[in-house]
Amino acid sequence: MRNSSSNCRRGPSLPDLAVAELDDEALRARADSLGLALRVDELRSIAERLGRAPSLVELYAFDAQWSEHCSYKSSRALLGRLPTSGPDVVLGPAEDAGILHLGEHEGERYGIVIAHESHNHPSQVVPFEGAATGIGGIVRDVLCMGAEVVAVADPLRFGNVDPANEHQRAVARGVVDGIAAYGNAIGVPNIAGDCYFDRDFDDNVLVNVVALGLVKESEVIHSRVPRHGADFVLLLVGKATDASGFGGASFSSVALDAQEAQSNKGAVQVPDPFLKNVIMRASYRVFSVLRERGVEVGFKDLGAGGIMGCSAELCSAGGFGAEIDLDTVNVAVDRLLPEVIAVGETQERLLWALPEEIVDEVERIYNEEFSLPQVAQNARAVRIGRATAEQKYRLRHRGELVMDVPIDFLTGTVRDTLPAEAPVPPTMRREREILCEGTLDDLFHEILAHRDVCSRAPLYRHYDAVVRGRTVIPRGEADAGVLAPIRGSRLAFALSVGGNPRIGRIDPQRAAELAVYESARKVVAVGGEPIGLTDCLNYGSPRDPRQYGELVAGVDGLARAARGFGLAYVSGNVSLYNAAANGHAIPASPIVACVGRLADVSRCVTPPLKEVGSHLYLIGETQRALGGSVLASILGLADEAAPEIDMERVVSEHRFILAAAREGLLQSARAISNGGLLVTLAEMSFGCVAARRAPIGIELDGSVGWSSVGRNESLFGEWGGIVVEVARGDTERFEALAESLESVREIGTTTAEPLLAFEDEAWEIADLQRSWSRPLEELFP
Amino acid sequence: MKARVAVLVFPGTNSEEETRDLLIDCGADARIVHWSEAASLVYYDAFVLPGGFAYEDRIRAGAIAAHDAMLDAVIEGAQAGKYIMGICNGAQILLEAGLAPGTGDIRRPTAAFTHNAQGHFICERVLLRRTVAATRCAIAAALPENLLIPAWAAHGEGRLAAVPSHLEEIENGDFIVFRYADVTGATDAHFAPQGSALGAAALTNREGNVLAIMPHPERDAWNFNHLDRSEGNDPLAPSGGSVLFKSFVTALERR
Repeated sequence: MRNSSSNCRRGPSLPDLAVAELDDEALRARADSLGLALRVDELRSIAERLGRAPSLVELYAFDAQWSEHCSYKSSRALLGRLPTSGPDVVLGPAEDAGILHLGEHEGERYGIVIAHESHNHPSQVVPFEGAATGIGGIVRDVLCMGAEVVAVADPLRFGNVDPANEHQRAVARGVVDGIAAYGNAIGVPNIAGDCYFDRDFDDNVLVNVVALGLVKESEVIHSRVPRHGADFVLLLVGKATDASGFGGASFSSVALDAQEAQSNKGAVQVPDPFLKNVIMRASYRVFSVLRERGVEVGFKDLGAGGIMGCSAELCSAGGFGAEIDLDTVNVAVDRLLPEVIAVGETQERLLWALPEEIVDEVERIYNEEFSLPQVAQNARAVRIGRATAEQKYRLRHRGELVMDVPIDFLTGTVRDTLPAEAPVPPTMRREREILCEGTLDDLFHEILAHRDVCSRAPLYRHYDAVVRGRTVIPRGEADAGVLAPIRGSRLAFALSVGGNPRIGRIDPQRAAELAVYESARKVVAVGGEPIGLTDCLNYGSPRDPRQYGELVAGVDGLARAARGFGLAYVSGNVSLYNAAANGHAIPASPIVACVGRLADVSRCVTPPLKEVGSHLYLIGETQRALGGSVLASILGLADEAAPEIDMERVVSEHRFILAAAREGLLQSARAISNGGLLVTLAEMSFGCVAARRAPIGIELDGSVGWSSVGRNESLFGEWGGIVVEVARGDTERFEALAESLESVREIGTTTAEPLLAFEDEAWEIADLQRSWSRPLEELFP
Repeated sequence: MKARVAVLVFPGTNSEEETRDLLIDCGADARIVHWSEAASLVYYDAFVLPGGFAYEDRIRAGAIAAHDAMLDAVIEGAQAGKYIMGICNGAQILLEAGLAPGTGDIRRPTAAFTHNAQGHFICERVLLRRTVAATRCAIAAALPENLLIPAWAAHGEGRLAAVPSHLEEIENGDFIVFRYADVTGATDAHFAPQGSALGAAALTNREGNVLAIMPHPERDAWNFNHLDRSEGNDPLAPSGGSVLFKSFVTALERR
């Protein structure tokens, strides 16, 4: 140890890394042996700024804080291109979660808190725990805003789960089990999500998680020490710190190597939904005490970088430094190394910044009223340090200073400038005759049974979609989940997700635009007015110019589409390095979630057909575009162009559909997505059986399949649009409301006979339903 | 005066709020009572044990909670004739506590709701039909004959299991208050989505003052929970599964 303890400007007194004395090669080797992902230039800049050799604790702290996962160093500059403000934005993407304005009830303004993250890498390595802790983490992000957690959703991308692919099947099952085990136990309904199966995710599954909370806008708690918070007490709450999750942030920031996967398992955290259930309820109790006392506080989730990452961000966001004594942390095992206590990512922990006068009361609520120490071994609320006016981040361990760095240097923006290669999407539009292979009948059944189209019920039934009793439309019964979160109020929200990897593979920018369109369209289809978005950017390596170029194009697409729809992103996440060791990356996967507002839940529209003799209308413009469709993948057409969106037209279509819903003119509605128009119609009919009514059939006009774009593209093209059912007596009002909108057209009627009839074809609904409902049953029995 | 109903919360309970809300909407004075407040339970007229994962479902669902101090008050209340309803995890707890079917000693269960046949949690809509006389179980007495009650099966351990002699006693003694039904109202063991023995969804005790029901009627209990089956125009009005809660409150008022 080279630092004398008598020197007041001394550095930490633990073993350090003599950065300045090593050449690049030796430094790299040394960093590798310590398991540090920091680059050599980053190591040198740390030593330079500190003016001394950094201690091991400091190195692990910077390693976490400057990881891609925490710092967004490859993406932050790009993210500035996204629109983040608008009339419904209460809080943009600056804290643990964003907030959208839902509406007013009894003179109070209510906000929907939303966070969106990925837990891709952990889920690939240990699927059950990885997915479960994904839900656990996102729930804390919402909770710490002072909100009641009311819903979760999860977009999933699995590999090819053909029977021979045992590993991919085990991963898919493990992920679903993990999400179910965690979400069901904490009692938060899982109301939305999607699921794709594609061999390009064989080595890198995507497990995105979205959580929503309800908060009165006047009672939001921020993820920062308040302005007057010098000397505020830092109160750590939750599970005893152990050695799990050490290196989690850095682990999520490198490409996965199959051989290393085994050794990476230690980096994955261990979930405890039982403890979380109690922590959530205890925190709600604390919220009410804080409201009664009118105390301003800070509250933040411990995620990447553990105690260090959370406390540094909580304090620096308020303009403070921090001083923490690691010996006060409640630990599960003795003799943990200080760097493990500091940056390990043990789950189920949160950090409060509280004024001294309220600390005892908050401790009492967690430790006595909700008896955390009895709920889990050594779980509790405990004082670990204070916010300081001095802008230093200091950690002590066994009486020694083990970390002492300028806090803004630790949490400040690190940015990498990287070369990007713009993707070149296909522009091919094949002649229609080429597509008329096989009979329509075979094709339709094959599409219904395709894994990206067929019923998700075998998977979704693992998730509790109705706990809390406020679910209006549970997962899987419509394009979006709907929930009425406020007792005594008709206000409701809809939640949907969008993102299609088949498009991502051919056209990264269009994939992003279409993800926004899809999520908004799905919310509109249940009568929800889109009010805001979140995004999770799942891509390959930013160090590969081609893969980085996909990210750049994706961000541009997200920005363009959101502007077109007049929407903003209030929360988001970037997950890079979704690539195998051989460099093979996932398809560009921008995944978007959209929140919609329903001022009156009774105007919510559900998909099952309601009446015989209704008229069916298609709102949307058919296009010559097969790229990225299920039909194209069945026909093996890899180089077709993706659909384009005429944003202005779509916005007026959505406005019209919402007006018709408000007027009560829509009996049912469903968005067209995977599989196209015919699949959508079939699903509207299948819904009758699920709703315990006699099946209603459909007779389509002959004109449908012979529009200017050709029959297959009309019936199976995935160009968007929404199908609605209008009662016979309402068609005049409906058409009058449509006014000059040209993209509204009647396509058929509903019939008592349970058939889907089109030209010479008349499919038995029950036959179609058999093809559609079974394919995933063998995977999720 | 309205009947005072305690909704019990154990560590791991997760359905307390909607259960309380529905009781209030059905006319009860319902309050949530937390495990640290067990002593206050003596002041209540009736107990409802809501769904969740009390004590993490360790050993078996409900097994630990059956030995919680709050159950002392529940057992005492049951023996004194108070009305007690357990839903989902609450039902599991009542079986583990020996209060339903109550054919053995206290805390010596003779039947259990155990792991589903498919081996995992399921969340599905179900229909329930009362298959005993109205007088058999006071809590379900006010339900119209042949009414189908909508509910959600949302559990990993909802399959009734017992040794054959106990099952026979359960069947012959009319302990099965509700069975899973299809849309026509027919009941059959194979309508039980988790393979529950005898197609049983809910059990009572000999005296009929205890009801242990596996599916959740309170999750399909307001018009907004089932817009396509709305009763009247107010989306916030209780309907559907709320009939069981109304029957429970009616029973309390008639005492």
